[in-house]
Amino acid sequence: MRRLALLALVVPLLAACGSTRDATATKHLLLVVNAPFSSTPYLGRAIENGTRLAAAQVNTIGIRVGDQHYSLTVRTMDTALSPARAVANVRRAVSDGAVAIIDEGTGVDASWRIAARRGVPICIVFAGGQSLVDAATRPNVFRIAPTDHGIAFRLAEYLVPKHLKIALLHDDSDYGTAGAKELQRAFAGDPASVAIDETLPADPLDLSPQILRARRAHATALLVWGRPATIASAITAARSAGWDVPFYTPPTGADPFVRQQLADHPSWVDGLTFAAGRLTAEVGAGPFSAFTQRYVAAYGVDRVGVHTPAGAAVTEPPETPMYAYDFVNLLAVALTKAGSTDPAKVTKALEEVTVEGANGDERAFNRSNHDGVVDDDVYFARFHDMTYAPVKDDPLSATLPTTPQTAQ
Amino acid sequence: MTRVAAAVVAALACAGAAHAAQRIALPSPIAPLSAQPPLDGGASTAAENVAHSVSSATNVAVAINDAGTPFAVTATQRLDVRGLGDYFFTIGAPVLAVRAPSGSGSGSVPGMRTDSIVWAGFNPGERLLVARATLEPAKALAALPIRIRVSGDTTTLENATGVSVGSFSAEAPRAPLVAYLARLRAEVAHGRTPLQTSIPLASTPKNVRVTVTAPLHVTGTIGSQRIDVMLSGRTRFHGHGRIVLRVEPVERVDEITATSGRALLREAIRATLMLARANQYDEFLGNPDPAGPSQTVYAYRTASPPHAAPIAAVGHHRRTWVETALVVAVLAAALVAGAALWARS
Repeated sequence: MRRLALLALVVPLLAACGSTRDATATKHLLLVVNAPFSSTPYLGRAIENGTRLAAAQVNTIGIRVGDQHYSLTVRTMDTALSPARAVANVRRAVSDGAVAIIDEGTGVDASWRIAARRGVPICIVFAGGQSLVDAATRPNVFRIAPTDHGIAFRLAEYLVPKHLKIALLHDDSDYGTAGAKELQRAFAGDPASVAIDETLPADPLDLSPQILRARRAHATALLVWGRPATIASAITAARSAGWDVPFYTPPTGADPFVRQQLADHPSWVDGLTFAAGRLTAEVGAGPFSAFTQRYVAAYGVDRVGVHTPAGAAVTEPPETPMYAYDFVNLLAVALTKAGSTDPAKVTKALEEVTVEGANGDERAFNRSNHDGVVDDDVYFARFHDMTYAPVKDDPLSATLPTTPQTAQ
Repeated sequence: MTRVAAAVVAALACAGAAHAAQRIALPSPIAPLSAQPPLDGGASTAAENVAHSVSSATNVAVAINDAGTPFAVTATQRLDVRGLGDYFFTIGAPVLAVRAPSGSGSGSVPGMRTDSIVWAGFNPGERLLVARATLEPAKALAALPIRIRVSGDTTTLENATGVSVGSFSAEAPRAPLVAYLARLRAEVAHGRTPLQTSIPLASTPKNVRVTVTAPLHVTGTIGSQRIDVMLSGRTRFHGHGRIVLRVEPVERVDEITATSGRALLREAIRATLMLARANQYDEFLGNPDPAGPSQTVYAYRTASPPHAAPIAAVGHHRRTWVETALVVAVLAAALVAGAALWARS
């Protein structure tokens, strides 16, 4: 026992005296992806792939911090969409010395405090809830994804001038509830354009009664904010009743699940208009196209599981991977700017750096705004033949090219 | 600063070689004559294939104490942005805080970084961006156009825009100078960006230094006294009390009075340099569109400085060298005792 105590005392001293460290050897920095790999594998994989793609590129030259070279090591942790599990993951990531966490968003309301104790930055790349990110009260939380606030206000900006009577339908999931709040704020300035405000059950079997209520309220458009299953059910209920009302949705309207559910009735998807973050920048489609090629070369195409009438397989552009990819690149620049791997210093440096995003846009945070996708960058696209194209009756959308979405 | 130095060196080099070439460039009526204003390197835009037309209007509120010393500076900038497409503007400034004032009609919310305000978004064609920034007084003061000193019953206003720059003197034919000054006057009167020109010389130019100040129109009140002066140097007013002054840089070109070619050249150089200096003070925060118009109004007001809360005395315990030596000695003794134990066991 005494020997052990002595060893515990002497060994660290000897190690400290005798070590001649190789300053040129590359050290590893841990980057954790905290996402729902088991419950929504497509989303989890998309975030992981974007992270790994950027990390691989960063590691080709490494990150120089002072005299030391670093490379990024990516580790995944499954949240299963459980806040408790997401929080436990963050606790483990922080204790394992993670330099940053890329997160789908589940559980961040609790997990940010755990990460904040060591200053570890968390970047959300999917959830858009307004309260998740606040530069003043949650200084270590960042986001690269369209915000619910931006989506709702852009939808109002787009729809109100059309003089439609809109039924605001949202499901009772966290996502639907957060969206409902933002929609109420966005349409508060023009209540006359709202025909009815209705809550739908998440993952419903049949939404016919709710859709009928909207019809009886003389709605001339349905704005459905909910999970993909809710949107698919709402479309099914309306179309099977012979109601050809236009549908508008947040980004979940473009989720492959909606098209998969409606694969037997492709015409029901036609005309569905959704709001989402733009995929291309002012410089054109070149940067996003190059990013897509790199992504496909590494991981293959993400197939939606449906076909166009011409028989081509429909693919999903790598939007969510793009956000994770951009954060890793910002992180690499921030590490260099910070001149330190101390997560707290890296968090502060993240507020001061800018990179060119995968879509060619400037990607950046600042001290007063930790959202990397500005509300102005929300565009609208409409489905036709299972693929979508930017609309022409919105100033931003009209400037954007159509992103390729088919493969042989 | 490097840019300014390079411009001066280039002007002098031109002056030296001018007589042989018979032409010489007059100073630029828009190039800055010192490092600031605009603050912190001015404004810039990230190129994304879009060049927006931007006009800038800035109100700088300067809070002064009873002695006339500034203690707080706030700048409110309105950027009127024209043109379809993305924008990403960086406005250099020693910012402590920034926000879009409520009711300002700002189409977006400004971001803040170390020494800059940032704007990012999509412009559907026309967009107003309004930022109100609280500036670090120590850094902003050097770029303010006037100094105020209150001493007893006297209030002194001093134009603080003076700067000494390298120039030249020579004989020159009158006609091109008269034509240039007339054009310059018309451009300024119509709010167009004045252009630089070159003129022929009739003698070898000599390097000289000139002091340039931006003419300032100062209006307002000092106590009950109304003030309305063109301030180019220092002026004293008898009177004291609450100070409320509005200061505007004046871009103008005076009527020609000189008769000789040398004197006319001196007037032309002075006119262009004064325009350049006034233009600098009209760009207190800079404009991301280098060709866009900028205007700044400075408002000085007497106010009560905030009283700093007394800082509680906090005891810092630092180990003295004696204590450090003792700790080392104890550790060494422990090591020796440990080694002895090891040897006996």
